[in-house]
Amino acid sequence: MREEYLDIPVEPPAEFQPLFVPIPREYVENAFRSDEFIVLVGPQHPGSGHMRIVVRIKGDIIVDALPEPGYVHRSMEKLAENRLYIQNIPLFERPSIMDSSNYNVGYVRAIEDALDIEVPERARYIRTIFCELSRIGTHLYDAGIFSVFLGHTTGFMWPFGLRELICEANLRATGTRVTTSFIVPGGVRADVDDSVLKFIYDSMGVIEKRMKGFEKIFIKNPAVIARLKDVGVLTKEEAIRYGVVGPFLRASGVAYDVRKVEGYDAYDELEWEVPVGDDGDAYTRFLVRVEEISQSIKIIRQAIKNIPRGPILSDDLIGKLKEKDQVRKNIKGYFYRIFSRIRLPQGEFTSQTEAGRGLLLYSIVSDGESNVPYRVRMVTPGWLYLKGFMESLKGSRLADLQAIYGSFGYFPPEADR
Amino acid sequence: MAVSGTSRQKQTDEVMELTLVNTVFQIFSSNMMDIPVIKPLVDVLMTVPIVKYLVALILWKPFFAVILVPGLTGLMLSLLFIIWFERKLTARIQWRMGPLEISRSIGGILQPLADGMRYFFQEIIIHKEAHRPYFVQFPILAFIPVLLPVLFIPAGTVYAIRTPYALPVIVSLISMIPVVIMAIGWASNSRLAFIGTVREAFMYFGYEIPFIIAVLAMAVLYGTSDLYLIVEKQRVWGIALNPISALVFLITMAMATSRLPFEIAEADQEIAFGPFVEYSGILFGLTMTLAYEKMYILGLLFSVLFLGGGSGPPLPFLGDLTPVIWLYIKAVIIMCIMAFLRAVYPRYRIDQALRLGWTYLAGLAVVSVVIAGLISAGGLLP
Amino acid sequence: MRSRITRRVRIKTPDLNLVDRVKGHIDAIVTAAFQAIFPDRITIQYPRERRDVPDNFRGMIQFDINKCISCFQCSFVCPANAIMMRGAPDGRYYPCIDYTRCIFCHFCVDTCPRGALLRTKIHDVAFSSMEEMFATTEELIEPPEMLREDDTVIRYRIENGDLVLEKIEEIAELSTRPEIQVSPAKLSACAHPENCIACTLCYLTCPSNAISVKVVEGKRTFEIDPKLCTGCGLCVKECPTCTLTLIER
Repeated sequence: MREEYLDIPVEPPAEFQPLFVPIPREYVENAFRSDEFIVLVGPQHPGSGHMRIVVRIKGDIIVDALPEPGYVHRSMEKLAENRLYIQNIPLFERPSIMDSSNYNVGYVRAIEDALDIEVPERARYIRTIFCELSRIGTHLYDAGIFSVFLGHTTGFMWPFGLRELICEANLRATGTRVTTSFIVPGGVRADVDDSVLKFIYDSMGVIEKRMKGFEKIFIKNPAVIARLKDVGVLTKEEAIRYGVVGPFLRASGVAYDVRKVEGYDAYDELEWEVPVGDDGDAYTRFLVRVEEISQSIKIIRQAIKNIPRGPILSDDLIGKLKEKDQVRKNIKGYFYRIFSRIRLPQGEFTSQTEAGRGLLLYSIVSDGESNVPYRVRMVTPGWLYLKGFMESLKGSRLADLQAIYGSFGYFPPEADR
Repeated sequence: MAVSGTSRQKQTDEVMELTLVNTVFQIFSSNMMDIPVIKPLVDVLMTVPIVKYLVALILWKPFFAVILVPGLTGLMLSLLFIIWFERKLTARIQWRMGPLEISRSIGGILQPLADGMRYFFQEIIIHKEAHRPYFVQFPILAFIPVLLPVLFIPAGTVYAIRTPYALPVIVSLISMIPVVIMAIGWASNSRLAFIGTVREAFMYFGYEIPFIIAVLAMAVLYGTSDLYLIVEKQRVWGIALNPISALVFLITMAMATSRLPFEIAEADQEIAFGPFVEYSGILFGLTMTLAYEKMYILGLLFSVLFLGGGSGPPLPFLGDLTPVIWLYIKAVIIMCIMAFLRAVYPRYRIDQALRLGWTYLAGLAVVSVVIAGLISAGGLLP
Repeated sequence: MRSRITRRVRIKTPDLNLVDRVKGHIDAIVTAAFQAIFPDRITIQYPRERRDVPDNFRGMIQFDINKCISCFQCSFVCPANAIMMRGAPDGRYYPCIDYTRCIFCHFCVDTCPRGALLRTKIHDVAFSSMEEMFATTEELIEPPEMLREDDTVIRYRIENGDLVLEKIEEIAELSTRPEIQVSPAKLSACAHPENCIACTLCYLTCPSNAISVKVVEGKRTFEIDPKLCTGCGLCVKECPTCTLTLIER
């Protein structure tokens, strides 16, 4: 088709000049000449999250989408450079609301890797349980946001109601609902009571039962399927090329899961499967995560059944402390004495973790002398799949923007760090 | 002579005035609501000199129909109820409580009133790019096509205007509402309002045609478009005679009032209330309730066409009020069904809604006309 | 790559025909209607009802001044720099907590070697100004003040595989018992006597007069009385040459 240009002087709207929109003047003029429309979605928009997407549409079809992240940048990496290694734990769990345990595990594993700490078996199982609780929580949270992006308010409330069980499990075990700061180098902070484990086991049944209702009203709802099917498709090749990670990569047909590949914590000792989709559309991306919830429930049940007795903190860290037996159960009273001494040998230590939304990479550079990291690099899944997210927007309708957004569960605080 | 002449002149004036007042009073009192419960009270009041005119006016059937129930007052009451009910029902389905803190003992039913008062005292922001006069006028003008159809809807013998063209007039008045919404979007002069306006225009064509055909089917079925006659002819409710037409009517009603599977023009998460994005204060309150008002009118029309209008078991001592109450209850129930949809569905995309409107609904509407034709030609109407 | 991923679940997206679609619509409507009749409510009406929280709840912090040994560890470990040690008239230093900064990680509570910092179950205190959020030592001794309207405690319980909100008619107890601690006994000792420059700072600092000075052969020497020493570590902190250290008794 021949491109038609109207050769009239174009005055881009005033709002493109003072708002620091990071798009060149020519881009706006070009869009106006070719009869296209530029819509700024965000940052103050009910369906944008803490970011702006500059959407260029032709009619109702998105031609181009430019992300503008960084509204919730908190300079985590820089902050980490003047804190003790142990003080970074509450910091690094904060990018992602529900995913705190996974974020802690990644950081802690890099330290353990550097110091060659052997984690006791019970601690590894407890970590696995909390990581999977975090994963379920994240997926439920994303499902809720996803639903409300489609206008389905019941689909918003039910997963958030179910998430309350995860919060309650966290609360009973660690004393706090979301930001647990529970996983420390060498183990966990305190032993988890059998009654709490029983509660977690039982609440898995509740989640499974109530998910059936959610399935009827949202997942299998024909209106939802109509909205999501064949929307925002990323083929296998595209997904690999754009560096998409986690459940979204698996939805495009690539069977890659760090939990299987690295087999950290107790994942190697438990039976579970990796959900893999074929189509790579918004609906598959959602279904993969729904299936991951049931796999996580499976993991948690096995882990609670098979959890061994024993210490929860590594002897490598406790050292020659007199009150060894007490500290092996609960770190209370010895926290600073044990962890303030952590000093990593010179070098760079990297860990990969499968967080709720995908691959999470920590890289700690240590100078070998100070008790703070020289540099910490933290690459979050949100940042990794932002490109894939933007690419999958092209060619879909403007109304699909929110559907694709939700299908990726894109979480700006996580991506911006 | 001159003096007596002027006094006579005065007297004739007074007599003429009295006759005029009396004629009007005659008109009022000849067509009054007959409600046995308050009859003794009315009789007493009718003997009081000035008050009797007022009582006669209020109980004059056309006035009662337009200003009280099912007119303006009924509309306002149903608005307050349905907003509360919608929130409460949705909350119940979603494991929540819903509005409760205001008037806790009666389940928070005063919440919409409190919200309305807040809207009243909120600042109305008119942004720089808006077309100021239109921006302020249109939400108020929108009331005209919303309220006028009430003139033609009969509740038993309580109606304002009876005409054989009632049905076409109502349908055409209802069709004017989207035009006002488009004007609102245009006056807002904002990107999201613009997109919302275009969506509203598309939806308008999507649902209006099946809607009109479905209503036409009922006119064909009853062989008249006089609503009073239509109610009289319904020994069996219209929904049983022509369920397909009722289904099409209900779905197009959801589309027309932008209820949830079709809340496309307003799409909160996508375009932030579309045409109404720039409104605040009482103007936003007016635009927000516009869809509910439309829903009330369509609910009345649905009751008249398919649910036997004001017919129902007689209520003792209420006399002429009986059909009014039945009609009102039916309309509110229809509104409740519409409110329920919000908890069940996400929003369709514009192309899907249009496809539904132009193919399935238009097809079903034509089928309903055929059914109506068969029934009325076969003389099956009881 | 250690192991190849062999176990996987295939996710298929359904192709819906008309029957499936009608069934799906009916399913959704029936589910919602069922909830409308028998709702599975999980709302807790917060100011009137209070959620049951366990004893290890990380709430606002209470401080037991009698147990504090001024070891400064809580302020050292605080990741948010919320704890400030302030000098008291008795010459020792006690923590103050800046609640504008506190992130409730309870690293300090887990750190305190004597259990002087206590957990409370209070998490909902309203402050009228930012300055008020700085809790001084005196304010920390008592649990924070708050207005309470609650008369019911809600506890999550799982019965027959579903969540039940158990209502207990009682006013929730918000303070916790101190967790039983074997407080490690500490003693100040001269680890490197050769470093001592005889500045007498330790003698001057000691709040319990456990350190005495003697002049032997024209040289000051110090003696620590193990009976009087509380192991507070103030002398260790003051010692300019790192001569002193804390040892276990």
